[in-house]
Amino acid sequence: MHSISSRGFLSYLGHWQKLTLGLFALVLLCWFVADTEVIALEPWAELSRMFNGFMHPDFAATEYLLDALWQTISFALLGIGLGLLLGVPLALVYQHSWVAAMCAFIRAIHEIFWALIFLQIFGLSPLTGILAIGLPYAATFARVFADILQQAPVHTIFCLPHGTSKLSALLYGRWMHVYPQIVAYIRYRFECALRSSAVLGFIGMPTLGFYLESAFRQGHYQQGGALLILFIALIGTIRFWAKPIMLWVYLPLAVYFLPPLPLFQEQLVWRFISVDILPPMLQGLPLSAWFNAGVFMSVWEWGDQLVRNQVIPGIIATLVLACCALGLTHMLTLILLPLNTRLLMPNWVTILMRAVNLILRSLPEYLLAFVFMLLLGPSMLPAIIALALHNSGLMVFLMARQSDEVTVPLTYRPRIGDYCYTVLPTIYPYFMALLFYRFEVIIRETAILGMLGVMTLGFYVDSNFAEIRFSGALLLLLFTAGLNVLVDYLTRKLIQIPRNRLQAC
Amino acid sequence: MGKTTLLHHLYQQLAKQSCLCSQAQGLVDNLSIFHNVFMGSLARHSSWYNIANLLSPFSKPQQQVGAICQQLELNMPLQQKVSELSGGQRQRVALARALFQQQPIFMGDEPFSALDPVMGVRLLNIVKQAHPNVICVLHDAELALTHFDRIIVISAGKVALDAQAQQLSLEHLSQHYVVADE
Repeated sequence: MHSISSRGFLSYLGHWQKLTLGLFALVLLCWFVADTEVIALEPWAELSRMFNGFMHPDFAATEYLLDALWQTISFALLGIGLGLLLGVPLALVYQHSWVAAMCAFIRAIHEIFWALIFLQIFGLSPLTGILAIGLPYAATFARVFADILQQAPVHTIFCLPHGTSKLSALLYGRWMHVYPQIVAYIRYRFECALRSSAVLGFIGMPTLGFYLESAFRQGHYQQGGALLILFIALIGTIRFWAKPIMLWVYLPLAVYFLPPLPLFQEQLVWRFISVDILPPMLQGLPLSAWFNAGVFMSVWEWGDQLVRNQVIPGIIATLVLACCALGLTHMLTLILLPLNTRLLMPNWVTILMRAVNLILRSLPEYLLAFVFMLLLGPSMLPAIIALALHNSGLMVFLMARQSDEVTVPLTYRPRIGDYCYTVLPTIYPYFMALLFYRFEVIIRETAILGMLGVMTLGFYVDSNFAEIRFSGALLLLLFTAGLNVLVDYLTRKLIQIPRNRLQAC
Repeated sequence: MGKTTLLHHLYQQLAKQSCLCSQAQGLVDNLSIFHNVFMGSLARHSSWYNIANLLSPFSKPQQQVGAICQQLELNMPLQQKVSELSGGQRQRVALARALFQQQPIFMGDEPFSALDPVMGVRLLNIVKQAHPNVICVLHDAELALTHFDRIIVISAGKVALDAQAQQLSLEHLSQHYVVADE
């Protein structure tokens, strides 16, 4: 309740507007700190060759094309399958805080890093790819399913006959209430899994990403173009080829056509968990010799050095990069969303824009960043733009569904003013919630860009893995996960406030 | 005020031998009429049977559910989704689910409120035939007086009247109903 006298600018600001202004202030600050220098590189020759490659994609040049496509789908399918197998039971016990914490931790580590860890244990085995997708996806499923289940009405359970088994009650009384949302979410996640599966190619799994990276690195843009076009088409046509019924056909096929599992080497696993992951000064030292002051001091020194030289700079760079990308995502989404809204634009514009969105969200950030790096030189800018483009493509895709469902008064006309006063305020809370959720995702995605040389936490993790310093990599991963859990917690706090109170937008 | 709370409390005390047809109905919109009514028999089957039945309905329960629906004048196909039904039809599906529990005590929270009065009486008779004991929250004073043995009037969360139906007249009862309706 404001008194009439306080008619200042601030008194008209609702919760979401204040939040937005705060976000802008933060982004502006980060933008000053960030390294966004443009170094002109005369990239036009390279870019024109790239453009030419896309104009004349060479679908025939590579006999491995179909194979790569199939491997990409098969890893995604098996990863989702494993994710569901683990995630559904976890969703049922998600109310225990230790389960939630464990899931947050698993989720916080990017698929690429999981793959790098499993790579040490299983080598380039399909198991590495499936586990790298399945594990973090299980943790995500657990959280999202638990959230969805919470929205299911409770009175059905109350009416069920006495003596109904817990499983039956849960299934009939709760799951069936939210069944459509769950199926829709699995479908969306499958699209994400296809992307993750392709990205795993960058570290050597036999999926599209592997061939994409080698084509781009070697300048074979006609092959690269063909691969990218196929990948975008694959994602764009999911709803035609991935019907739930068809899964019963695809899954056995995916298992059957899995590349052969290499022999499981016990001593490799044992070596990894007993020697490799220990700090260097403890390796080879018997357990009894660990507990003396000298050893303790040297471990402390090691950790301290790592935190000073890698963790802290890495965290700062990651946060600065993620904040800039978040701000740009916010702006791009607000600009693109009206163009995707049926309530504002004629049909042909929205259809055209949906194709643009599809391309934006299908292109792996890694590749986008790679192209922008050719264009703008090595700084944070290519990574920021790549993250923002990719994420705003996804945001617009998800938000357009919301904005099409807004009920407008009869007096509504398809003008930008009407849009800003009726449609936008209705969907804005959801928009902000989604944006803050994406922030967590963006931080995780900076991991991949680290592999391109942007000095984020991902960069340090990757270089530790490359130099076979697993102990350092794992310590960095612990901090990465901790940062993600913290950000997740804080952003959830930020968007939870208005649920209890009636608030202006 | 307090009628639903009292009924739910009673139900929790007698859950082993009673079925509840609550005002909130608790139907599952994404399921068919058959599956919603079948939920009344969940306790009689194993979890595996229930899960399998969710994927592909067995014929025996289909016949049983079909018979109950016929009785309750639900003449649409059993595989129709509950979300497509009218208010009165939904109420009868909830009623069918309670009947399918086959318990000796029936508890209903205004189970006939969305039906026309004549049909309400017909269905009440079916309910009474199937259950030795029937406890109902009703707003219809006449229905209560002509079909039940004992009447408790609750007003503002307190028992205002507790008597045998034979000792009461409609005028007597309607005084309380005016108060209770507020």
